[in-house]
Amino acid sequence: MTRVLIVILVTAMLGGLFLFGLLRGQPDREVESARLNRSVPMFELPVYPRYQPEFGPTLDVAAELSDRPRPMIVNFWASWCGPCYVEAPDLQEAWQRHGERVLFVGVQTQDRGKRAEGQAFVSRFDLGFPNVIDDDSALSIDYGLFGVPETFFVRADGTLMYKHTGPVELELLEEKIEELTAS
Amino acid sequence: MTLTSPRSTGRGRPVVLLRVVRAAVLAAAAALVAIAPAQEAATAPGAAVELQSRVFDITRKLRCPTCVSESVADSNAAIAIEMRNQVQSQLEDGRSETEILAFFQERYGDWVLLEPPRRGVHLLVWWLPGIALAAGAGGLGLLMVRWTRNARREGTEAPPDDDDLARVRAALGEKEPS
Amino acid sequence: MTGMGLGPLGNAALLLALAFSLWGVIGGAIGAIRRDARLLTSARMAAYATFLAMTAAVAVMEIALLTDDFSVSYVAETSRSTSPTWVKVVTLWAALEGSLVLWGWLLSGYWALLSFVAPNTPLRPWALTVMAGVQTFFVGVPAILTPPFQTVSPIPMDGPGPNPLLQNHWMMAVHPVLMYLGFVGLTVPFAYAMAALITRLPGSEWMTQTRRWTLIGWGFLTAAIIAGGWWSYEVLGWGGYWAWDPVENVSFLPWLTATAFIHGVQVQERRRMLKAWNLLLITLTFSLTLLGTFLTRSGVVSSVHAFGDGPVGPAFLVFFLIVMAFSLGLVAWRWDQVRDRADLDHPVSREGAILAGNVLLLAMTFAVLLGTIFPLIVEAFTGDKVTVGAPFFDQASLPLWMGVLFLMGVGPLLPWRRAPDQTLRSNLAWMLGAAAVGAAVAAAFGIRGVYPLLTIALSAWNLASLTLLILGAVVPRVRIGTRSVAQVLRSYAFENRRRFGSMIVHFGVVVLALGIMGSSAYRLDEQIRVDFGATTTFAGLELTAVDRFMERTDQRISAGAVVDVARNGTPLATLRPRINTFAGQQMTVPTPAVLYRPLYDIYLNVSSSIGPGQEFVVLRVVRSPLVTWIWVGGFIVALGTLYALTPNRRRVAVTSRAGPEEPVGT
Repeated sequence: MTRVLIVILVTAMLGGLFLFGLLRGQPDREVESARLNRSVPMFELPVYPRYQPEFGPTLDVAAELSDRPRPMIVNFWASWCGPCYVEAPDLQEAWQRHGERVLFVGVQTQDRGKRAEGQAFVSRFDLGFPNVIDDDSALSIDYGLFGVPETFFVRADGTLMYKHTGPVELELLEEKIEELTAS
Repeated sequence: MTLTSPRSTGRGRPVVLLRVVRAAVLAAAAALVAIAPAQEAATAPGAAVELQSRVFDITRKLRCPTCVSESVADSNAAIAIEMRNQVQSQLEDGRSETEILAFFQERYGDWVLLEPPRRGVHLLVWWLPGIALAAGAGGLGLLMVRWTRNARREGTEAPPDDDDLARVRAALGEKEPS
Repeated sequence: MTGMGLGPLGNAALLLALAFSLWGVIGGAIGAIRRDARLLTSARMAAYATFLAMTAAVAVMEIALLTDDFSVSYVAETSRSTSPTWVKVVTLWAALEGSLVLWGWLLSGYWALLSFVAPNTPLRPWALTVMAGVQTFFVGVPAILTPPFQTVSPIPMDGPGPNPLLQNHWMMAVHPVLMYLGFVGLTVPFAYAMAALITRLPGSEWMTQTRRWTLIGWGFLTAAIIAGGWWSYEVLGWGGYWAWDPVENVSFLPWLTATAFIHGVQVQERRRMLKAWNLLLITLTFSLTLLGTFLTRSGVVSSVHAFGDGPVGPAFLVFFLIVMAFSLGLVAWRWDQVRDRADLDHPVSREGAILAGNVLLLAMTFAVLLGTIFPLIVEAFTGDKVTVGAPFFDQASLPLWMGVLFLMGVGPLLPWRRAPDQTLRSNLAWMLGAAAVGAAVAAAFGIRGVYPLLTIALSAWNLASLTLLILGAVVPRVRIGTRSVAQVLRSYAFENRRRFGSMIVHFGVVVLALGIMGSSAYRLDEQIRVDFGATTTFAGLELTAVDRFMERTDQRISAGAVVDVARNGTPLATLRPRINTFAGQQMTVPTPAVLYRPLYDIYLNVSSSIGPGQEFVVLRVVRSPLVTWIWVGGFIVALGTLYALTPNRRRVAVTSRAGPEEPVGT
């Protein structure tokens, strides 16, 4: 009798474990950011020419935020990234609505040397918020980027509230901005 | 009388010759086995290659963030190439492997380390195989003790089982299986 | 042909096969219970009929692929009209649905062959019924769950073609087939084991009847794993051949337990011990092939090779659980007949060595399985995502490998049942001496790593062991007979196929071990940017990037670099690594270029894009010592296995007195 029980137990345990695995779906996406609820790196990087009249040759995020403390949305993109083209209009719209309350920064990364392509991207969507150039991808590594596009929602105190993997939609942006500005 | 060991047939020329031949063959085999790999393996690379090799050694322990189950050393993804560059410049700055791995672990979490760190829940994966081996060896030892006792108690012949009787009947007259 | 669509034809073939295999189960089971010879014969007929139906299904699919019939769903999803003919043929197994059909077809071939050649023993009816049961599953999934023959309407103009990684190398035609032949081959001893439990004949009968099948299955599995490694090496671009990726691990697990089983079987044949042990081992082996397929086809663990999710995962999980419950349940039910009344004269004996080896192999199985599913376990309990990668598997398995190498050397020299005697002690002394010489020579050349030194020492240990084994067999025969050494050696080899074959296999393993040691411990990687026309040095060689080149075929567009490799001015070879874009696919895949040499390989892969105006190329260069020894070692193992399978030549009547007694280890 005990033997039969052992058989049942072993089978049930394995079955349970693998059933969980099946139900959970793809294992790789949605790894939580290691920086969740910790402070995100500040950075100073060169901006594209169209933003230079307002910000100068580089954008110093730390200075911007110390001048006027507010939440920040950092969006990482690359010129070869299809979904980035899909989400750009939504980001532009969200910036137009909430750009006063939240600092929007776009970061072109994993795109070493691709200045012309980056310029084309920014012009194509007529992005009003500053886009900086992370040529050696050091900033994306600092942020623990898994891929592009990724968008980081940073509270006014500099800590990470939420990281979104994949393209963002306007609805989600609105929702997260509400959260960011509520506190 | 068995014709097995050279010793039992007494000393003689052929026996000594056999021994010498055997010794020579074995020594030659051992040396040959060692020489080719050793010579190959021990070529020293130059300093620049040395640095690159270290980059690859370290990035072999990092998981490529955008790939499915590839290391940063092996992947050609954009982020992997940039991470290798990052590691190289950190090495040039003089940081150690431990520091570099900690750098990435801080930013990506434990997930990015291909070698599970030796703390927390990861200890399970490091310890369980050893425990399983010890348990297996221990179990085997116990079984062997019991079986050796069986042999001494019951004598060295176990009674034949039905399978064997059937086989003997069937096999009578045919050649012995090897 | 165009009138009756190929789709419905293929569907019909699969459904027919399903019906026949169901009859094989039902008719076989009832016939076995009632001992009804007519039912059993009809169940055997069902095997042949299933094979014919499956062959028809495969033929229909191949015709559809070769004639670009995009009305068939599988062809529309997987094939492309511009692919070369051989690619269209192998597209049969380039995606999940088709590869299941391949598995089902190969299995039906084995089942039919077994029905034809299996000796008429009490085990046969149940063994064939179990095979039929497994067959029903492997036909049922493609016939019902993932039908590849659905009709697509409107008919598309063309398809995407198979994954680029699966159409740029001829190994695609070889490795999956070998792998399935291995898995399927191991189904036969499993079926016999179940039959033995059901019929209460759990002695040696079931193993003796399946000895050849087991060896064949194991041989194919070994060849498949080595072929897979070579394929990775030639195709993936990082200069390696084994990454401990889950799909590689799940093919490795049943290999480990099958190896343990092959050796455990010898103990049971000689000493009638380990009945329960061997039954559990073959059950574990078969279950692992199912588990492996589940893990990689369901997306449960992340793997580069995982393809497809959908109903296949759950189906395999359910079948795996059923098989586990059924087989373990049978063992539990018959435990009293199966448990060992064993005795062991001395732990240091052949039995002891094989048992110790089994423990090591199973410990390795546990470590690899644990590492593979550990992320899943952790996530189930804590929700955290963790990674267990190559460094873990290397560190966990290397010590066990050293133990296996050690036992492989000493085991064949140990006698059955007896304690070690003087001859053995002197042999061991010679082996130890050889190991010391090997290690000393290696150290003299500058090798300092623990594992490399140990591997070299153990290789010398094994070589010495094999030499002593042969000397021990040949010398006494020369002594008492009138034949020459060569004649004796020949007749020994011809009359002891199994033994001699196993010596060849063990020798192959030694070569393999040295190849793995050299290529992992002493590999040199570099990423170099070379301007076209310039020369750079790497590891004592000169690499000149001569120019870029472009190639265009119906299948792909490739851009690459022509690189001359020279040593001290003497040209060695011209390599052409390239990047390919396949028609119909977005993904670009590299084709590295390899310069094979006996002692090291030079491996080039293009790391940057090669645009038209670009004046440079970034190359990934790898120097791998002894990596060729891996493929050679694998080949030797395959040869040895083949040799062991050939029947012994009938022993010629000896004119002198009784034949010589084997001094050690027969």
